[in-house]
Amino acid sequence: MNIPFRKVALVIATAAMTATALVGCSSDKDAKSGDQSLEIAYWNYGPAAESGNKATADAFMAAHAGVNVTLTPVTGENWGTYYANVATLIASGKHPDLMVISGEGAQFVHANKLVVPINKYIDKDPEAKTLLADIAPGLIDGFKVKGDIVTLTYGWNDMVVYYNTDVFKKAGVDPPKADWTWDDFKATAKKLTADTNGDGKPDQYGFTWASNEIFPGIMPWVANAGGNLTSDDVCSATADTPQVNKAVSFLRGLITDGIAPAPMPMSDVFTRFQNGQIAMFGAGRWPIGTFVPAGFKAFDIQLYPKGDTYKTVFGGAGYPILKSSKNPDLAWEYQKFTLSDAIEQQYVGTPDKPGDSIPSRRSVAQTISKVGVPPANSDLFYNSIDKYPTLVPYPAPAKYSTFESTVLRHLQLIFAGEASVSDGLKNMQGELSSIVTC
Amino acid sequence: MDVLRVSRLSRTGSRIATFVILGIAALAITAPFLWIFRGAFSGSDAELYRLPPTFDPANVTTDNFGKVTDQVPYFRFFLNSIIVSTTITVAQVITCSTAAYAFARLHFKGKGVLFAVVIGSLMIPIQVTIVPLFLVMSKLGLTNTLWALILPGIFSAFGIFLLRQHFLALPMEIEEAAKLDGAGHLRTFARIILPLSGPSIATLAILCFTYWWNDLLLPLVMISDTERQTLPVGLVLLAGRFSTGSLGTIAAGIAMAIVPVLIVFILAQRYIVQSIASSGLKL
Amino acid sequence: MSTSKTPRSGVGGQPVAAPGPRVHRRRGGDGIPALAFLTPSIVTFLVFVLAPTVGVLVLSFYDWNLLSDGTFVGLDNFDRLVHDDRLLGVYGSTTYMALAILAVNVVAGLLLAVLLESRMPAWLRGFFRLSFLFPFVVSASAVALIWRFLLNKDLGLVNYLLGLLHVDRIDWLGSSAFAPVSVIIVSSWKTIGFSILVYIAGLQSIPPQLKEAAIVDGANAWTRFWRITFPLLSPTIFFLVVINTINSFQIFAEPRVLTQGGPGDASRTIVEYLYDRAFGDFDLGYASAIGITFTLVLIVLTAIQFRLSRRWTYYE
Repeated sequence: MNIPFRKVALVIATAAMTATALVGCSSDKDAKSGDQSLEIAYWNYGPAAESGNKATADAFMAAHAGVNVTLTPVTGENWGTYYANVATLIASGKHPDLMVISGEGAQFVHANKLVVPINKYIDKDPEAKTLLADIAPGLIDGFKVKGDIVTLTYGWNDMVVYYNTDVFKKAGVDPPKADWTWDDFKATAKKLTADTNGDGKPDQYGFTWASNEIFPGIMPWVANAGGNLTSDDVCSATADTPQVNKAVSFLRGLITDGIAPAPMPMSDVFTRFQNGQIAMFGAGRWPIGTFVPAGFKAFDIQLYPKGDTYKTVFGGAGYPILKSSKNPDLAWEYQKFTLSDAIEQQYVGTPDKPGDSIPSRRSVAQTISKVGVPPANSDLFYNSIDKYPTLVPYPAPAKYSTFESTVLRHLQLIFAGEASVSDGLKNMQGELSSIVTC
Repeated sequence: MDVLRVSRLSRTGSRIATFVILGIAALAITAPFLWIFRGAFSGSDAELYRLPPTFDPANVTTDNFGKVTDQVPYFRFFLNSIIVSTTITVAQVITCSTAAYAFARLHFKGKGVLFAVVIGSLMIPIQVTIVPLFLVMSKLGLTNTLWALILPGIFSAFGIFLLRQHFLALPMEIEEAAKLDGAGHLRTFARIILPLSGPSIATLAILCFTYWWNDLLLPLVMISDTERQTLPVGLVLLAGRFSTGSLGTIAAGIAMAIVPVLIVFILAQRYIVQSIASSGLKL
Repeated sequence: MSTSKTPRSGVGGQPVAAPGPRVHRRRGGDGIPALAFLTPSIVTFLVFVLAPTVGVLVLSFYDWNLLSDGTFVGLDNFDRLVHDDRLLGVYGSTTYMALAILAVNVVAGLLLAVLLESRMPAWLRGFFRLSFLFPFVVSASAVALIWRFLLNKDLGLVNYLLGLLHVDRIDWLGSSAFAPVSVIIVSSWKTIGFSILVYIAGLQSIPPQLKEAAIVDGANAWTRFWRITFPLLSPTIFFLVVINTINSFQIFAEPRVLTQGGPGDASRTIVEYLYDRAFGDFDLGYASAIGITFTLVLIVLTAIQFRLSRRWTYYE
């Protein structure tokens, strides 16, 4: 093969020019107009995140003449890689005014002194009073670290049980009620477990939970057993208590009894729930954003069954003001703006294109069922935090990512039957004791 | 007579065994892809995980491809991937072939040490250098541009190594002849060595192109604006939060990302084989 | 074997010029042209490989979490390596999986390549080759999607098919015994095509005259393989051993998407472990220390392979 040198040179020149043009675009964007500017970092997990943030920024600029909002989408496969990439950005000297965080990140940003607590704004700003009256107290408490409120929450998710109504009907099982117990749950799950192809082994299971995350995984069970993985001040680990043991033993029992399959990552559960291989699973509101556009509507939701107690497990997201911000007051306006009617409506969505989290404002969240966004029991979403006790604060220490991966690593061994529940939790506790500190 | 028949029989037997083994291996290796392509054309996600596998021709659709382009700027990603992979490939061919020429044909002080350093750089996992690399890019003002994806790919120890092995195997005499004609190094390299190295350069090009086509780590860290992302990130975006996007749509996205590379692969396959054959791979 | 019989290029070809005096040295050497030829590589190497590597080296002496200013901690990070209870286990699982992937690539790759070289129609050969290369072109997300469905314990296709043969369900992704096996299978699946390709090239460059001569001498296939094919192929085998060792010790995506390194650390690799330290714990200093020592281990390993290769690789 002869390499025609002129052609190669041409290709390089073209490629270089294309790339230079792209560099050109980016530098234009960094030009900011005076101090009336805000830069916002958000997790770009998909088209919805991008369009939502763009709409918010555009609406804010329309409402505040002369303000320039720059969006910095940060890609990540999950919250963890998003945080890592934002931290890398910050390390390189970039200073956004606001960044999206989830509730699990509250202690993290607080411990690293990244954020301006909003307490003083809440005290001073008259609008804040009306706003707060429309927000469930749990959503504020969830973002409180040592008395500091890290951010207002624009959207959130509670952990509920999804059930496939077709599978229930086919098995002749009544839909669950809000006051069901663990025993009811197990009996129901058992009835829904079946061998449909007659090979002597079940291929339809009553329930499963996420193996790769703790909130849609073990946390609701731990909470309803009256336990938690950390102390109330999130300063020490409490993973080997009888309550945690009870919850984990119950879940392991579901596997050994053949009612639950070997745990799998959440993404692997969704399709299997739609085709009926899994009758129930636990998650927040986000599955609806997958199910409904796919034309799947044969599902409803219910609270997790109660054990020795009942507590709603939830998590929110917000745009805390970063310490590096040159315009904290303007940033506060933006944070408030993310809870304004028009923006909150995005999270309600439409019957065909539902939102993927729950609006934080009660008045807006209550429109979900009125608008007709599935499922039928959608009012439960906000009621679960308004009318039931909640698990506050989150068991989310500053080193959340390490904490979660440690918990999951030991759970893998327990659920695979390679460690006893008590041994596994004891080892977990041993490792967590140096991770969960203050 | 008998001996001949026996040997012919055993030869037939071993030929059958050969085809059985190759067939099983080929099936085992390619079967997983049938599922991806099937998923790409399936109108029902629920169907894909069913056991035993079912197939309903009524569910066959091409809608998923439309969904891919609706949900993410797929062609933009595609273009970016092409720009990045092609630029790196062209640049690698130049940097690797020139460096390999120096290592194979020239004599200079510290050659051994330099070559050891090149090989040593293969051992450093990118996952550990990514943060300092980001800081370098940031200092150069190149983060969030395609340059941040292109520049780190240009130096390739593997490429230098591969081409060096090939150049070493080329007979010295042709070069000596060129020298007698008064050709300088550049001319010898461009007019004598390169024309003899087409196949091995094609190998490098394919391996390089495929690697950067699939790279996820760098764009995930370096690029923030969606319109500058590449295809692997596009697939992450398609999968959505917690990777819970529609299976059929993701499969269609994957299929669309595979096909171009596959075409390049088929076209270049003959070259690759010849190339490695002639590169001599001696260490 | 005399060199004159063999073709000019290829494994059986020209003896590789040891970096020694095969050509008459010009006075002062080719320093200046060499520099010119190396400049593009040197510049990109310095800026995009060496600079970050030096950065990692510096970081390994610091305690840094990306968000605050780092503190110099001397050798603390290296001291932590010694006291890290998990590290040795992770090295163990990495080594186990890497050696297995290496073995599959080198041994099964050779078998398939040899079979591919037997007589068959060209289209069939092309079909087989393409089949083996197919996995090479897919991204990690495709690997995750496909294999997590195939290997799911209770609702996966592989166990369903095994069930038809009355084999109990195997916990491919969740058990300490099988999780590493799954990583080995999937990683090998992805890389074997490349190894086969390299083998084919090596086999094709063995001069056919040698084999014909051996057949005339009455040597059977087995003898022919060990007496002729293997020695002439040894440089290729060595190349694959080196490259596959480096690659398989550095696997990252497969265990991450398949098993999350679990259960426990049963299928965790060093690269995955250091990635979690860096981007999960934000412990950049410690991650760098792991990276530096791991790089040194690989360098030593490769150096040993080069040293040992002198005993078994055959150069004319």
